[in-house]
Amino acid sequence: MPVVKVFGPLLLALIAALPIGAALWAVGAQMLHAAAWQALWADPQTWRAWGMTLWTGLASTALAWITVAHVLASGFIRQQLGRWLSHLPALLATPHAAMAIGLVLWLSPSGWALRLVSPGLTGFDAPPPWFTTQDPWGLGLILALWLKEVPFLLWVAATQMQREDLRRRWQAEYALAQTLGRTPAQAFAQIIWPQLAPRLRWPLLAVLAYGLTVVDMALIIGPASPPTLAVLAWQWLSDADLLTQSQGVAAAGWLTGTVLVAGVLMVVALRVVASKRPFASRGKRPQSQASDRDGLLSQKTPTWLLHFCRRLPPQPNAMWTIILTAYIAVWSALTVGSVSGVWPFPQVWPELWTLNAWQQVASSAHTVWTTLGLGVASASVCVLWSVAWLELTPRRWQQALQPWFLLPLVLPSVLWVVGLYSLALHTRLEGQWLGLSLAHAVMVLPYVLLALVPAYQAVDPRQAALVASLGHGRSVYMWRVKWPLLQRAIASAWAVGFAVSVAQYLPTLYVGAGRFATVTTEAVTLAAGAQRSLMSAYAALQMLLPIAAFALAAWLGRPRRFEKIAPMKATS
Amino acid sequence: MLLGAAALSPSIVHAATSWADTERAARGQTVYFNGWAGSERINAYLQWAAGELQRDFGVKLQHVKISDAADVVKRVRAEKQAGRQATEGTVDLIWINGENFAAMKRDALLSAPFAQTLPNFQWVDTAGKPTTLVDFSVPTDGLESPWGMAQLTFFADAKRLPQLPQSMAELLALARSQPGRITYPRPPNFHGTTFIKQALIEHAPDVKALAQPVTAAALEAQAAPLWRFLDALHLHLWRGGKQFPNNSAAVRQMMADGELLLALTFNPNEAANEIAAKRLSATVQSWQFAKGTIGNTHFVAIPYNAPSKAGAQVVANFLLSSAAQARKADIDVWGDPTVLDVARLPAADRARFQSAPHAGQVRQSAPALSEPHASWVDALEKEWTRRYGV
Repeated sequence: MPVVKVFGPLLLALIAALPIGAALWAVGAQMLHAAAWQALWADPQTWRAWGMTLWTGLASTALAWITVAHVLASGFIRQQLGRWLSHLPALLATPHAAMAIGLVLWLSPSGWALRLVSPGLTGFDAPPPWFTTQDPWGLGLILALWLKEVPFLLWVAATQMQREDLRRRWQAEYALAQTLGRTPAQAFAQIIWPQLAPRLRWPLLAVLAYGLTVVDMALIIGPASPPTLAVLAWQWLSDADLLTQSQGVAAAGWLTGTVLVAGVLMVVALRVVASKRPFASRGKRPQSQASDRDGLLSQKTPTWLLHFCRRLPPQPNAMWTIILTAYIAVWSALTVGSVSGVWPFPQVWPELWTLNAWQQVASSAHTVWTTLGLGVASASVCVLWSVAWLELTPRRWQQALQPWFLLPLVLPSVLWVVGLYSLALHTRLEGQWLGLSLAHAVMVLPYVLLALVPAYQAVDPRQAALVASLGHGRSVYMWRVKWPLLQRAIASAWAVGFAVSVAQYLPTLYVGAGRFATVTTEAVTLAAGAQRSLMSAYAALQMLLPIAAFALAAWLGRPRRFEKIAPMKATS
Repeated sequence: MLLGAAALSPSIVHAATSWADTERAARGQTVYFNGWAGSERINAYLQWAAGELQRDFGVKLQHVKISDAADVVKRVRAEKQAGRQATEGTVDLIWINGENFAAMKRDALLSAPFAQTLPNFQWVDTAGKPTTLVDFSVPTDGLESPWGMAQLTFFADAKRLPQLPQSMAELLALARSQPGRITYPRPPNFHGTTFIKQALIEHAPDVKALAQPVTAAALEAQAAPLWRFLDALHLHLWRGGKQFPNNSAAVRQMMADGELLLALTFNPNEAANEIAAKRLSATVQSWQFAKGTIGNTHFVAIPYNAPSKAGAQVVANFLLSSAAQARKADIDVWGDPTVLDVARLPAADRARFQSAPHAGQVRQSAPALSEPHASWVDALEKEWTRRYGV
């Protein structure tokens, strides 16, 4: 019996850790070329590109963090969070590339924004020479990243706030703080946020890593002279010249180091910011310790958040409205773009309309099946593995190994592709369905785990005892009590995993040896020929599949308790 | 049936027994053809070819859609490094030319020479189109089989640009008079690099030196006037020459929107195609510089480890058939110029190549200038990046 108890978790750990470790090993081995590093340092673009990477990655992450705090605060206080967050799946399902394409359709000098006011207000009959997209300051890229990362962080925050145990406790504490004379804003900033923020550390790291290493968005809307380092790394990696390729591997390694250092600094910075105690220093420490289980009321509260909370506007949260409006604008631009033919500036509507692009999409319907198959397989494998892992292994193991499994989230995708591909070559799995779905699974796993862990932590162990005391076995507890309670979390983890699989481009191309066409590989290869209509149509298709998955998850996860996240006013 | 027989007649007459063996071996094979897939017309053409090949030869043609041939070169190289043997690869046929071919040839990533053994190769216009045998000044040595012709071509909306520049010097004058309305894709994008090479050819003191592998001395001597020209031009380009679009498609889109005056392409029929697809206005016209523009040939090649080598040869031979070449040259299908010597073809085959003129087509085709040796590409791109890329 003890043998089984150790052997099972060990086997599970090995199944997931081995591919990750082997991929890292394979890419690490390729990094040991001195000449590649010399070429990287000698390249005139490297340092400026790296500077651009740091600026766009850090700025977008900081903005997203502040925005999320703001939205959560005002949503929580107004008890509207559940309603607002019900839009999340559609926002989450919008692919990064689609967001960038849509923004360009609006913001470029020939974009919709200027067409609406030209030539009437501006006098322009040709697009002005403005740097509104691919701007040398990286502002467009920061905007696009911000718009994509805020929903992701909100979603992770929601997985925490929907935990039954946290939800009850936080509502009680929030109510209590108000009875102790705190305003709702103060109560949120002092009680809820300090407990929530540390739980978002990993997702925030993922956001930071993504911002520092993104390729597809940066290609579309990012600066071009020089581009960000991730784009350069990708261009070098796909060069025909061997030395340039190793230079790309070195650049990916450098990026990885950057992500790790920036991640550590960020965690430290969050601690430092959190350690400022505006209220405590003014001697306003609360008298009562009744609710102060973890010393909550003396907890650290960032000043800027208090500042935010105090100045909440009376109308619905402006920030959230801006984000939603941006998404709606992007979707409508993609829709019109997908049926546009000739469309010269400054006409507001296309001169010629055409369904060519959608006919093309329809003719490659088989790619939808490949995409579905890969997404279902990798998401299901990851959910099964995660459930087994969380059920069978001791908490200590889980905590120790979690960072390892989350690595695919924080390391640059260009790096993973090199590692996974090299691994697939050596195991002869390249170009095989099995190899490709495993590669997808490696990329999907961290997201599924992130979605499931909070739900598992929320399970009340007393339920098991209760079921046992009623004379039922463990299987009754699992099938009748625990899993039904986790049903919603499992379904939503599965949908997120599916969406992540759909979005994979580089692993699909390499590990699949190009033999598996998915909607994403189609979209990106067609983007190489960049027809506005076709790109828009594929971006829309890329979005529909994950939306379908989220809808399925929502249906499977009924009944939803989402509406109740917002706390009750202190009426009880 | 009769038409099919006529199309095949040359191959039947000249077929050696070895070719019959190849066809027999090819039957039932699947050929993974890795080819750029950024155009729905090209993809549709290959779908048609797949149908023909299945019906006539029992070969299954599978188009592996890629966005950059360099990816495939990299994959084959990685397979070789992983110790893959002669039939253990994932690529049977690759659409290739230029530096990618030079890299594969240099690193011995290609299978035995096959092009001249293809029965349909006899109709290739090797005299009139010398680039069918010499790819960016690198001899093909039969390692790749010609597929189509390309030539640097500009297109512009006549409503906005009535007077078409006929040389790089005239282009500079145009940029001076209308600043911010001209640009080219950022090298190492290959349209951007081609633009640079065209300017190099027009400015180099000794064009013959460009056919030799590049040296530091040659680069300095031949390219000095090029950099002077670009220094002058960039001041008047889109966004002050401080920024360049990522690819030719972005340039085309900006031209269509009216942000730029002209766009560039390697397919002389691209504008005609786009007009037919309603993505460009019918007033757009295409032209090549009067004294000629860079032209080259694109090829198909078989990697050393292709599992279906016989099938790949049958596909390459089919792609050279007059039926396949004529269909490819048809603007309503793809519009890619043929590598064959149409005048030498039997009358029935010749007739396939006649088609009505289309709006946006090049009216007066100019001579095709030879590409510099493949090694110049990397040297030019590096120097361009050093000077203008940061």
